[in-house]
Amino acid sequence: MFPSQFDYYRPSSLQEAIGLLGANPDAKVLAGGHSLLPAMKLRLTMPGALVDLSHIPELRGINVNGGVTIGAMTTYDEIEVSAELQQRVPMLAEAAAVVGDPHVRARGTIGGSLAHSDPAADLTAVFLALGGEVTAVGSNGERIIGADDLFVDLLTTSLQPDEVITQIKIPLTGRTAMAYEKQEHPASGYAIVGVAAVLTLRDGDHCESARLAVTGCTSKATRLTAAEDALSGQSLNEETITRAAQAASEGLEVNGDLYASEEYRRHLVTVITGRTLRRATGAITR
Amino acid sequence: MRGTIGASLPRPDAFGKVTGETRYPADLVRPGMLHLKVVFAGRPHARILGIDTAAALRQPGVVAVLTAADVPYNAHGLIEDDQPVLCAVGEKVRFAGDKVALVAAESREAAAAGASLVVVTYEDLPAATDPRAALAADAPLVHDRHGSNQLLHLPIRKGTIERGFAEADIVLDGTFSTSWQEHAFLQPEAGIAEVDEQGRLVVETAGQWLHEDRRQIAKILGLPEERVIVRYAAIGGAFGGREDLSIQHLLALAAWTLRRPVALIWSREESIVAHHKRHPMEIRCRWGATYDGRITAVEAEVIADGGAYASTSAEVVKVATLFASGCYEVPHIAADGYAVYTNNVPSGAFRGFGAPQAQFAAEVMVTRLAHTIGMDPVELRRRNIYREGSLEPTQQPLPPGVSALPVLERCVEEAQVHLGYGLAPQSLPATTSLVAESVEADQTATGSLTPRSARGAGNGRHSPSHLRRGVGIACGIKNVGYSFGYPEQSTATVELHGGGDIERAVVRVGAADVGQGSHLALRQIAAETLGVAPGTVEMVCDDSAEAPDAGSASASRMTLMGGRAVRDAAIEALAKWRDTDDLHVEATVQYRPPATTPLAAGTGASQPNYCYGYAAQAVEVEVSLLTGQVQVLRIISVHDVGRAINHQQVEGQIEGCLAQALGYALLEHFQVRDGRVLTPYLSTYLLPTALDMPTEIVPVILELSDPNGPYGARGVAEMPLVPLTPAIAAAIHDATGVWLTQQPMTPERILTALNVGTALEKGSSNEITTTIDTKSTVTAHASK
Repeated sequence: MFPSQFDYYRPSSLQEAIGLLGANPDAKVLAGGHSLLPAMKLRLTMPGALVDLSHIPELRGINVNGGVTIGAMTTYDEIEVSAELQQRVPMLAEAAAVVGDPHVRARGTIGGSLAHSDPAADLTAVFLALGGEVTAVGSNGERIIGADDLFVDLLTTSLQPDEVITQIKIPLTGRTAMAYEKQEHPASGYAIVGVAAVLTLRDGDHCESARLAVTGCTSKATRLTAAEDALSGQSLNEETITRAAQAASEGLEVNGDLYASEEYRRHLVTVITGRTLRRATGAITR
Repeated sequence: MRGTIGASLPRPDAFGKVTGETRYPADLVRPGMLHLKVVFAGRPHARILGIDTAAALRQPGVVAVLTAADVPYNAHGLIEDDQPVLCAVGEKVRFAGDKVALVAAESREAAAAGASLVVVTYEDLPAATDPRAALAADAPLVHDRHGSNQLLHLPIRKGTIERGFAEADIVLDGTFSTSWQEHAFLQPEAGIAEVDEQGRLVVETAGQWLHEDRRQIAKILGLPEERVIVRYAAIGGAFGGREDLSIQHLLALAAWTLRRPVALIWSREESIVAHHKRHPMEIRCRWGATYDGRITAVEAEVIADGGAYASTSAEVVKVATLFASGCYEVPHIAADGYAVYTNNVPSGAFRGFGAPQAQFAAEVMVTRLAHTIGMDPVELRRRNIYREGSLEPTQQPLPPGVSALPVLERCVEEAQVHLGYGLAPQSLPATTSLVAESVEADQTATGSLTPRSARGAGNGRHSPSHLRRGVGIACGIKNVGYSFGYPEQSTATVELHGGGDIERAVVRVGAADVGQGSHLALRQIAAETLGVAPGTVEMVCDDSAEAPDAGSASASRMTLMGGRAVRDAAIEALAKWRDTDDLHVEATVQYRPPATTPLAAGTGASQPNYCYGYAAQAVEVEVSLLTGQVQVLRIISVHDVGRAINHQQVEGQIEGCLAQALGYALLEHFQVRDGRVLTPYLSTYLLPTALDMPTEIVPVILELSDPNGPYGARGVAEMPLVPLTPAIAAAIHDATGVWLTQQPMTPERILTALNVGTALEKGSSNEITTTIDTKSTVTAHASK
């Protein structure tokens, strides 16, 4: 189907973009467009205008200097092949590599993914487990939104309508082990269940703290707090991992759909959590 | 030219299809044509109170809105005229894909806008959406005049069923269910129509049978058949899904009524919602056997959801009931088939035509029987499988050319070579790597799940401990051609032109090439018979006015039927050619195969078919005990095709069909709730991709002549679909110890079965013999 009529703007600076969003209350921000354009074609959304961020140079790029800063319009592809990210935040590069297909990865952006808050996106859970933060700029200026405050609900974030994510920051703290694993939908590649884990380590395989997040089975990327509790302060052995995996779905509101029921997804949360933790800990040198 | 038969000649249509030059029906649309858009009911069961077209007609670009009032004879169907072209005010819509109005406009956009402005008021009616419930006396009636929702009840009786069970040492019960399958041909329905200078109505689309499309269109419009011409552009797959009229009659109606060229292109969603599907069936059965391996009795009840209109349901259910006992000679049979009207999408023809559903049940039951009596499943098959002269359930001997046993034996040989089938466990390589490579503990989610047979055919290969491999074997039978007394025929004309030698041969045969390569196969038959190079033969196949009726490209019949007609016409033309000095001779021959007979009331006694195709398959799968995911690793698919006219095309048919079969077995989960299709997109209805297919497919072609087929050829199109689901089910059982009885065998269903299996295993072992087979593959693999 064809989208409804809309105006198209392609600003060349962030300020211009913010201005356009303020002047067009029914405008939507166009990043990679891989979620927005299909939704428009199905007329699930009918914005009056699109503000295309693809020609704003300051929104692109990866900077690893102390912490990691990634421009919001950086594509999955660019994240996947970044040698610095592969080394410093390997999970992020690995997760970017399993988003959709090559076409999607060439166009889709990290900022777009986070701002869209798709319940089955990959990078939302990865970002949440990494405890990152986004910089949002709008007509009222700039603010920082932490990972735990960004995702509000299904396709809903705490961003204001005229706010744009400009960059994503990932803290780098101490010695960590991390991994992202998912079981994907056979047609779309979206996560049926995806789990990202970041374990902060001390003294060999002692887990000082853990951040785990799930995607694909909840209305938004969600922390697996019960699994985190089962890991924090523990030695990372098979017994701990099994206990954490079995605790993972505790208190989690899991959704089912035509492809996989709530019950099956809940089971997968345990399986995939275990798989994620085993891969994360498999790389630890003891 | 001698030596043409069997040669893997390249497909003349391949280059155009690869480069995009080939014109499919949607490519025929020209500027200036009117575009059509269908207004669908969108509800399963309702009475139409009114249709208001005023707003639609005011939409700029809209030229007309056609309704039932514009249709001269508003009923059609392949067998029964029970389907309206457009549903009328005061009448009912019977499924969500029923058509209520047809908007014609100057552009696609205007037609779509116009369709959205047609206001139809309905009185919703209670819907019958469960076939078993629809048989109840107080169920809502789908067709009021029919008086009940039972479209067909077919009993087949052979021997005395009580005696059969009395002779049995063991008796097993089983219940199996299958879902709809969508044809998902590459090219959704599309076409054009116009009235030519001679006042003839010309419809150009894709279909499976030119002359049947023509018959139905002419009847709807009240025209003599000669006034209607049906032409086929390149056909992007059919699989039975183009047997029923979908858009052909709508194009015809609009072009004839409006006297303007018209075009109609369906989206994938429209295609999925509106055209018929493979029948969902529920099969309850009971099989009896003796300890020495004689199958003594089969009792079966087959209930098929026919959906809203008759289509070919009655014939499909006859085939399914006939194959309730598979390809085995069983002395005592009581099988009852039911076709039921519901308010679901109509069910009709789909590759296999009832055979895959019936033999999913039959083949699983045979393997379970073997396990229970402690016999190799192959050996049990061997002892009971059809042989020359075996009596069918309909009490008559099989048509000559029974090759079920050699097909099975070849499959077993190939399975030994490729899958290590039948090798005793101790002779296999060491299994230590199964544990050594483990990255996941089995216990994480499913408890201590240890299958009965941890052997798996992949022993010695690297495989994490939560992955289990297994091998399964199944047989299959499917009729070639039309059954049960249908007046089966195929007609061809061969013209020869030239002086001393044949310079040019023209073969006229109205045979659809649905992508399977029938035109090349028929050309090779003509070339061989005439002794000319294939390039000398010109094929005229795609125009109902230019080519005689070859019958449908369905029931795996075109090579045998169309091919025989071409061969016989070529022989006759050649005889004329030798007897004359004329520069042109022509011969037309109608081939009729040995007659079949209708099923007798009460018993089903008959000679149901004139030819069968026989198949056997062996598969190896890998199952994840943690997620229920299955990967098919290898498939051996053995077929007696009588004679391969073009070897490469036969292999292509086998490989392509296996993809459809694998999708049916594992992925394609067509879901309907309260009469509404929940999976109208290919994002929700999952089709297999290259990555889902095994890395190794071994197509094995046997050439054991059919007595009637041209050069001994019989058909192959449907056969690979018949055994694959039970073969995969048997392989999953071999790997895990649990039986799947629901198609498709999705990861979730497999995991559920594993969990039930584990629970039963922990409980009393006496209760589980019918669910989990305690003997499993120890006997299956040791006894060969």
